[in-house]
Amino acid sequence: MSIALSIQDVRVTLGQFEVLRGVSLDAAPGTFVTLLGASGSGKTTLLNVIAGLQHIDSGHVLFDGQNVESRPPRKRKVGVVFQSYALFPHMTVGENVAFPLRAARRPTAERRKVVQEMLDLVDLGTMVNRSPASLSGGQRQRVALARALASDPGILLLDEPMAALDKQLRERMQVEIKRIQQQVGITTVAVTHDQAEAMTMSDLVAIMHEGQLVQIDSPENLYRRPVDEYVAGFLGEANLFPADRQGLLPPGTGDTAVGTAVIRPEDLVVVDPAQAAGHWQVKGVVRLVSFQGSRFRLEMTTPSGQSVVCSLPPHTDASVLVPGAEVTLGCVDPDRIHVIRPAQADQPLKLVA
Amino acid sequence: MTDSPLRRSIGWYRIPILIVAVLTCLLFYLPFLVVVATSWTGTSYIIFPPEGFSLQSYIGVLGDVEWMDAFKISLRVAGIGTVIAVLLGTLGALALTRLRSRAARRWIRTLFIVPMAIPPVAYAVGLYSVSLRATALQDNLGLLILGEALLAVPYVFVMVSSGLSQADPALRPVASTLGAGWPMIVWRVDLPMIAGHMLAGAVFAFAVIFDEVVLSVFLTPVGVKTLPLQMLTASQEELSPQLTAASTLVSMAAVLLLGGYSLFSSRRAARARRLSRKAATV
Repeated sequence: MSIALSIQDVRVTLGQFEVLRGVSLDAAPGTFVTLLGASGSGKTTLLNVIAGLQHIDSGHVLFDGQNVESRPPRKRKVGVVFQSYALFPHMTVGENVAFPLRAARRPTAERRKVVQEMLDLVDLGTMVNRSPASLSGGQRQRVALARALASDPGILLLDEPMAALDKQLRERMQVEIKRIQQQVGITTVAVTHDQAEAMTMSDLVAIMHEGQLVQIDSPENLYRRPVDEYVAGFLGEANLFPADRQGLLPPGTGDTAVGTAVIRPEDLVVVDPAQAAGHWQVKGVVRLVSFQGSRFRLEMTTPSGQSVVCSLPPHTDASVLVPGAEVTLGCVDPDRIHVIRPAQADQPLKLVA
Repeated sequence: MTDSPLRRSIGWYRIPILIVAVLTCLLFYLPFLVVVATSWTGTSYIIFPPEGFSLQSYIGVLGDVEWMDAFKISLRVAGIGTVIAVLLGTLGALALTRLRSRAARRWIRTLFIVPMAIPPVAYAVGLYSVSLRATALQDNLGLLILGEALLAVPYVFVMVSSGLSQADPALRPVASTLGAGWPMIVWRVDLPMIAGHMLAGAVFAFAVIFDEVVLSVFLTPVGVKTLPLQMLTASQEELSPQLTAASTLVSMAAVLLLGGYSLFSSRRAARARRLSRKAATV
């Protein structure tokens, strides 16, 4: 069973502070949606709203078109994995996974069967009688996942699922969670502040900023076509330049700009200023070159003080790119440049670079 | 001595600290040791150092109907009182975790703990005047048990609250998203987690009630005596070795109860530590 989730103009105020300021979101059955945002952006609150753990001031939460605002958490059929995993410390792994089945008063034989199925699903089939205290972090997380899925919920909610794991394990568990989610085919909403994690796991990423949903789209579209400067800067590295309706403006003529061009570091190359004459280019002084395995990361400063980041292939001869050297960057493929247009396109946009 | 952190950090300055510590210990236990010693004197009056060695005062206490009756009454009062105190204290602590308002939580917590500081005489007089009005409460142990239980409630409350505060606050929300209603959450999530703390609270409550004398003075029916009351009367009549023998027996029981409990709980804590260490290396 997997449900379609619809959130309509949800508002939540905690004390004096408006945590959610009109959030709307739709997810088809079986989609993996990640709420991505800085801390304090309201993403965990939104997750709690879906779980029924947070009261909403106005708006609607619909599961398969049905209003669930008045349903308490235990009647929503949601499976939640908390950041701390919240395994019951006095129960064995098997008893933890059986808890939702016990709550639903299923017979013992069925409980045992489902527990085994769930633990096999998360590759912990032999751990039924272990105590949660004797498990490693990754194993605990998988037990929490098995427990959340045991009662066949309509939607799975993951609150910062990787926060307590070290980096290597984190990457493995991202793939693992994605595999389990696809195998079960359950609608899933996850919360994270790690953009790599969001992009690895999700079909849709929703960027949250100060209690509002800024953009919701596939990871690729978010990266290629961000709706505003915040999204552009939040997801990956971005160089922002003034642009008008035709496209990029030459550096230093930003006054007539009506939009912002987003150029990703990998779309910039080092060019010979003479050859590239007539094309858009930006001059500057190298500040830092660092080798990062799959690329050289070149950071330079323009005369106006703007910092520009460029990715160079790892086999580049970087010996001339010493800090202080003059360098000119051009754009490989102008089609890949995305221009953000402000709502009022007639007004020239002042760029703070 | 091995290379302990104390030795490494403060060197020879630790000597005066050790001396103070030893003196404090002596101050705690010397009077008790004197009482123990006087109880085996061969004389019929209390004398220190004891003259000779005999168990006659012990035999006297254990064979005396009055002492044994007082002991049984105290056992009953402390037993029932402990059950009531554990029940009320635990319910109070559980209820407190379910309050949303932080200010209300703080106030109610204070109100639960303050009774520790109120002199028992105040309770005793208050309850005594109640017993004058309510005839149903006269001539039985009901009011005494109730009063003693109320005195012990704060101890249970503090113990159980500390147990609840150590638990992951996400446990209850997670249980409710997994479909559990409140009876199941209390029974399968809260209670198993605080069982150890309830036991600790019970041990303290029992010790407090068993030793309490002020309420007994006011609230015991005519002709009935709790053990502390019996000791008090005995000490007013004559200082016989029977009194010190009874004190020794009660103290031994208390030491066994509390010592046994702390041994049991520290062993459990050690097991939990071992488990989590093992998990960290996996």
